[in-house]
Amino acid sequence: MSDLKNTNTHEWSDLHAEIQDWLAGYADGELDEHHTALVEAHLAGCKTCQHDVERQRILSERLQMIPTPGLSADFDGRLDIALANAPAGGKRPSGRRRMTNLKRWLSSLRPSVVIGSGGWAVALVLAAVLLMPSVTPDNINRIPMVSDVLNDYQRVALEELPIQAGSSEVSPPLPWANSRVLATWMTRVGGEPAQAYAIRQDNSLVIQYRISERVFFRNPDVRQAVARAGDFRTRADQLEVLGLPMEDSGLLVVAPAGNMPAVSESTTGAS
Amino acid sequence: MRSTGSRQQFDTLVRPWRYRLYGVAQRQAPSQEMAEDWTQETLLRAWRDFDQLDDHVAAYAWLLRILNRVVADDYRRDGRRQQLAPVLTTGDAVLNGYPCSAPGPFDQVLKNQSDAQVMAAVHALPDSFRQVILLRDFEELSYQDIAQILDLAPGTVMSRLSRARRLLAKRLIKANPSALATSHTKYTSVNPHE
Repeated sequence: MSDLKNTNTHEWSDLHAEIQDWLAGYADGELDEHHTALVEAHLAGCKTCQHDVERQRILSERLQMIPTPGLSADFDGRLDIALANAPAGGKRPSGRRRMTNLKRWLSSLRPSVVIGSGGWAVALVLAAVLLMPSVTPDNINRIPMVSDVLNDYQRVALEELPIQAGSSEVSPPLPWANSRVLATWMTRVGGEPAQAYAIRQDNSLVIQYRISERVFFRNPDVRQAVARAGDFRTRADQLEVLGLPMEDSGLLVVAPAGNMPAVSESTTGAS
Repeated sequence: MRSTGSRQQFDTLVRPWRYRLYGVAQRQAPSQEMAEDWTQETLLRAWRDFDQLDDHVAAYAWLLRILNRVVADDYRRDGRRQQLAPVLTTGDAVLNGYPCSAPGPFDQVLKNQSDAQVMAAVHALPDSFRQVILLRDFEELSYQDIAQILDLAPGTVMSRLSRARRLLAKRLIKANPSALATSHTKYTSVNPHE
């Protein structure tokens, strides 16, 4: 008799432990008929589980009353821009497609631009197109500000380089010896305005993007890299991106792989 | 390269969920900036993988699944350690010090705390607990949907949710200003065999 009582107590205890994991399902009406019957039979003799079911219901109702945080119009707009600039499709563009784009680009050039801009801008853009890296969405989408500048670099390389009178007299945030600003323009990086500077560096097209500090330090990878090494570097196939904290802003530099100009410590305070 | 129609289809399916997607991100992110990053990254990945969205999968569940991966990737890069998820039994002394027949002491504990205080307690839960609470109690998804989003068996969703709510209840009781002062006098042991 005593053995039977012990066995029953042991079975009850096992069931009590197991059923505790079903109580949310019972409270939420997610249990099937069989398990519902088991729980109800147990609840009939177990006050603590009865209380737990009631507590689960009350808590769930309380949580459902908390309003959903709002999405600001500003951020909604930034999402639109990010999606509009996102590469269409998940496939890497083929070489054939790039050459087709190049042909279209060449045929679309206005004579005045070709003549007016001189040889360098065109030659550099041409070189950039021919060397256009195959940037995969996997790589470029990881950090929004990086994907933004890579997209902008691609866009500029595939289209006309914005030409502005007097660009060569503009000083970029990070000046290098023997470099010359070919063009500057406003773009958006990380959802905020950014100033771009296209620079001829030897035979490469390098673009510097001055971005807000807020955007620059938003990503934890970037914060960690800057804290550890003073800068942030990443590669997307044949493009390199360098991130540098400036005095009151951040700087992203995009260059063909292997053509990133050296940055001495003294130059980073130039901003 | 996808067509303009494909972009329109994406917008039609995904845009209505932006608001709630951001809400889920915001409720588990340590900062607003992080929530925005996660939301943007989720939508960019969704656009990238739009071809993989089957007709029979609900767009919102699909987006939440992507968000879950984005968050996991971010935490992995951050080297963040998983918090231990303690298991409380229904016989826990603190829980039973606050009987919950509504309206009752437990109900009062919840009413005494602001939404921000409750959210702070949700935020402090171990990741595996917080996820199921967010998806069930805030997003009101079925266990089946939650299981698909989190890659879990439905039974695991149920057990995590049972344990998560129990832990959350206990923490809210302990955070209640009057709880600690009165817990000793209010505590009455409940015999599970009763």
